[in-house]
Amino acid sequence: MQDGIHDRIQLLSARKVGKQVEGPGGRLDILHDVSLDVNAGETIAVTGASGSGKTTLLGLLAGLDVPSTGSIRLDGQPLEALEEEARAALRRRLVGFVFQSFHLLPALTAEENVLLPLELQGVGHALPRAREALAAVGLNKRGAHYPHQLSGGEQQRVAIARAFVHAPRILFADEPTGNLDRRTGAVVGDLLFDLNRAHQTTLVLVTHDVALAERCLRTHELIDGQLA
Amino acid sequence: MKGLLNRLVRIRRAMVEVRGRGPLGGSPLARAGIWMNLRHALRSLRREWQLPELRTLMLALLLAVLALGTVGTLSTRVERAVLMSAAEVIGGDMGVNAATPLPDAYVTQARALGLQTSELANFPSVAFARERSQLLEVIAADAHWPLRGKLVILGPRGRDVIAHAPPAGMAYLDHRALAALGLRVGDDVQLGGRTLRIAAQLQREPDGGGLFALAPRAVMALADAQAAGLLGTGSRAHHRLLVAGDAAQVDAYRDWAKAHLPADADLITPREVQQRLRVAFDRAGAFLRLSALLAALLSGIAIALAARRYARRKLDEIALLRALGASRGFAFGGLLLTLLLPALLAVAVGACIASGLAAAAFSFARDLLPPSAQHTALPIGPAIAAAGIGLAVLVGFALPPLARLAQVPPIAVFRRIWTRAPRRFDLLYLLPLGVALGLIALESGSWKLAGILAASLLGAALVSVALAATLLWLIRRYAARLHPALRLGASALTRRRALSLVQACAIALGLTALLMLAVIAPALLDNWRRELPPDAPNWFVVNVQDAQQAQVLASLRQLGATRLNALPVAVGKLSAINGVPVDKLKLHDREARDTADRQVRLSWSTTLPKANKLIAGQWFAASPSQPEVSVDKLWADTFDLHPGDTLGFVVGERDLTARVTSIREVDWSSFNVNFFVLLDAAHAHTLPHEWIASFHLPRGHTNALAAFSRDYPNLSLIDVDELLDRVREIVAQVTGAARWVLGFSLLAGALVLAAALTSSAAERRQEAALLRTLGARRSQLLLSALCEFALLGLIASATALLGAAAAGAWLASGVFRMHEFIEPWGSLVIAAMIAAAIVTALGLTGTRRVLRTSPLLILRRA
Repeated sequence: MQDGIHDRIQLLSARKVGKQVEGPGGRLDILHDVSLDVNAGETIAVTGASGSGKTTLLGLLAGLDVPSTGSIRLDGQPLEALEEEARAALRRRLVGFVFQSFHLLPALTAEENVLLPLELQGVGHALPRAREALAAVGLNKRGAHYPHQLSGGEQQRVAIARAFVHAPRILFADEPTGNLDRRTGAVVGDLLFDLNRAHQTTLVLVTHDVALAERCLRTHELIDGQLA
Repeated sequence: MKGLLNRLVRIRRAMVEVRGRGPLGGSPLARAGIWMNLRHALRSLRREWQLPELRTLMLALLLAVLALGTVGTLSTRVERAVLMSAAEVIGGDMGVNAATPLPDAYVTQARALGLQTSELANFPSVAFARERSQLLEVIAADAHWPLRGKLVILGPRGRDVIAHAPPAGMAYLDHRALAALGLRVGDDVQLGGRTLRIAAQLQREPDGGGLFALAPRAVMALADAQAAGLLGTGSRAHHRLLVAGDAAQVDAYRDWAKAHLPADADLITPREVQQRLRVAFDRAGAFLRLSALLAALLSGIAIALAARRYARRKLDEIALLRALGASRGFAFGGLLLTLLLPALLAVAVGACIASGLAAAAFSFARDLLPPSAQHTALPIGPAIAAAGIGLAVLVGFALPPLARLAQVPPIAVFRRIWTRAPRRFDLLYLLPLGVALGLIALESGSWKLAGILAASLLGAALVSVALAATLLWLIRRYAARLHPALRLGASALTRRRALSLVQACAIALGLTALLMLAVIAPALLDNWRRELPPDAPNWFVVNVQDAQQAQVLASLRQLGATRLNALPVAVGKLSAINGVPVDKLKLHDREARDTADRQVRLSWSTTLPKANKLIAGQWFAASPSQPEVSVDKLWADTFDLHPGDTLGFVVGERDLTARVTSIREVDWSSFNVNFFVLLDAAHAHTLPHEWIASFHLPRGHTNALAAFSRDYPNLSLIDVDELLDRVREIVAQVTGAARWVLGFSLLAGALVLAAALTSSAAERRQEAALLRTLGARRSQLLLSALCEFALLGLIASATALLGAAAAGAWLASGVFRMHEFIEPWGSLVIAAMIAAAIVTALGLTGTRRVLRTSPLLILRRA
């Protein structure tokens, strides 16, 4: 019943979103007229060639930046109308990230990296949850290791544990297997989708990997800044 | 896997429950507050304390606090000791000197303030014994004298004994008085018509703020002198009241006494005595402060470079934290705490070591000070202040590069678009300049020193940036014509244009400061030493009457006196400035009020005396129609005098109004006879006056001088050999101490070089790895690096050479008031060449290390 309600709730919507930046050669149109709706619990993939604007779109949808034109609503909140600190609070509450280059903090152990989103939310006694999240990605014995002591695949698994530990309602993944070999990439992909299913998290995935994109409910292709 | 998923579902439920209770809803960060930041900072530090940039930062901070703390603590302690020794010379914490007995109110007021008092008088008197007679300088004192310092007499077994003034009926005579009268301890002597028993031989006594009088001396009881009528009206006695006690009460008394000071009275305070010794200590302090300041500024540069590198390293972390929803306050606050925690540790350790070093240095220099002044307490204020200044240096120099991180947008987590954003002028970049200027002003104790240092360093920074920018432009234009390896090295500089400019500027500043310390400071010290030649005047003779002047000078020449210099001296008081009587003038400055209250010694000369320099106006005309006056700069500053102003003086019963025609700068450390006020000879020679002469007489002429003293009983001879020796010792000790401080500065300089050279290490490592992967030979890369660093070294050392030379000349004339300063060009050029070679060698060493590492490893680490 709960799942059914989730299915009908629109969690993310983009309307006629455009992004322009000033470059050395003048004004550059990265995105224009992109419209997209994502319901709670859905998984969607955005594919496209390098430079097509995939990562820019992901950043805008996650509230990391604001569009030059158009509007984006996350959980009913118009992102372009919010100050950066308010968007940060929204991200803290609703959003999880998985990045292509893992982005673990080098000075923190695996366990502390996973603990970070919980601490940012001010959750007390968070350590057992962080340990469980690490165990969920099969790294319960590597909690005290620093990122440089882990392989690429292991680092991405820590990043996935970090992304799910605070139970975000929506997860943004930017080329999560892009820096991994095919076999490790497949393992990480499985883990990502399994956990996503278990958490019933909405997933927005940007990838070149056709096989990974096909595991999503919907796929959109971005060509020269426009959705095909 | 199923169990795993179930566990995750449980976590999710727990999260939902927590969310339902609300802690995640409002502002959790506000609740978590500083503790979360602190925890994050401590976690980061656990690993990051090993980062070279953090270590550089902390070491630089430690050195800055060490240098500032050691010098600050030592200077304060020496200052206190000098004041204390001055109090010993006076015989009390302050005194009132008058030509007539002081009213009882002076004693009553002092006692009301809880101060100890002692009354005494000094006068010349002829002593008789067994057909012989001798004019003596007699001090008649009460039983409390001296309140400070020591009266030393020769005790029974030839030992020195500390005593007070003798009881009634007794006297102490010094060795020369005993010899001149043919007496021994235990004999009787007639003084002022009273027969006194010689109780002991006088060895040393506080001399009341004059110098070391060598006229035969005697000490007797004040009651005897009064009973003998030696202090009555018409006597030549000078009366003195000494007080001692709590500093605040002494100050209160000083203010009271000044308000009630009779016309013929003067105040004697520790600051007014030992003027020459103070000049020496002040100059010594300026040298040490200069070295400490440069160490602190060098540390600042090292801190700025290290912070810049640290900021680049932390960029990704800040972007990630922002993407994960951390507030700007948390992300940036954590970063600042990560720096602040070890910084606090560094400044605390620095302050402790500084106090220890200052204590060691003080005991090393202890012999320079009188015995009781050797036990002044170790002040802790300067070390704490140094710690505070160290933190200010950290904030001032580290904040600008770090503050940019507060602006990192969360989108930078995907790409570093932020780093490529065009830079606008940021006021924050003026912060290091402000801190540096504040530091210079605070520590130098002289605006002139501050200005010279700031201008030299700023000039060096601007010249180095201009030179580097020109070179980069030339490279871009003509690089195509160079050897491929050289082109690679030269173009490496242009590729990292901003970094190259920062590097050139930092290395130039570092080398400027180092050359100033290593070449200019020793040259200034040498100069100082030369100013005190072995034949510097070591004797003064005062009270020479007009009629006996020629004869006295001739006698002195016969004794073998050289560098003989005699000047007339008239004692008067300043009565008016520009027609306004002194008592009607609104003098806000305490120093000005004090000076106006004091007697002023006037002299005159047809030529500008030695060690005097005209800085404004014209020297006297040959025979001016109206009286003219020339004043020393200190006096001019005290009363805000300019050429054209008029000054009124009262000398005896005569009034004289003279126009200021010139301002002079007097080298008070020169040991010549110098005056604040000089009048034109044509109008002044008729004033009632005496003569004062200075001369050099080799040691070992004491007996000849004793005969001279007997021939001219009205004269007082003053020996400044001891003072000269102490100044020479101070120069020697300062040279030693400066070496210590120089050591800190050299370390700070080395840190700057290391920080500057490693600031581009990551980029160069990447480039070298890539080039080697593409097949570049090691020799090509070494040649390229040689070209890059040689150019950097050349720019920096050329700038430093010019900057240090300019600062040296400026410091010598402007701050240390040296009349001749020979610029050590040879040493400067050699030091600059060595510096350029060191920069190149250090750069090459780093490159060789890069070349020894596998390119694959470097590329993988990237």
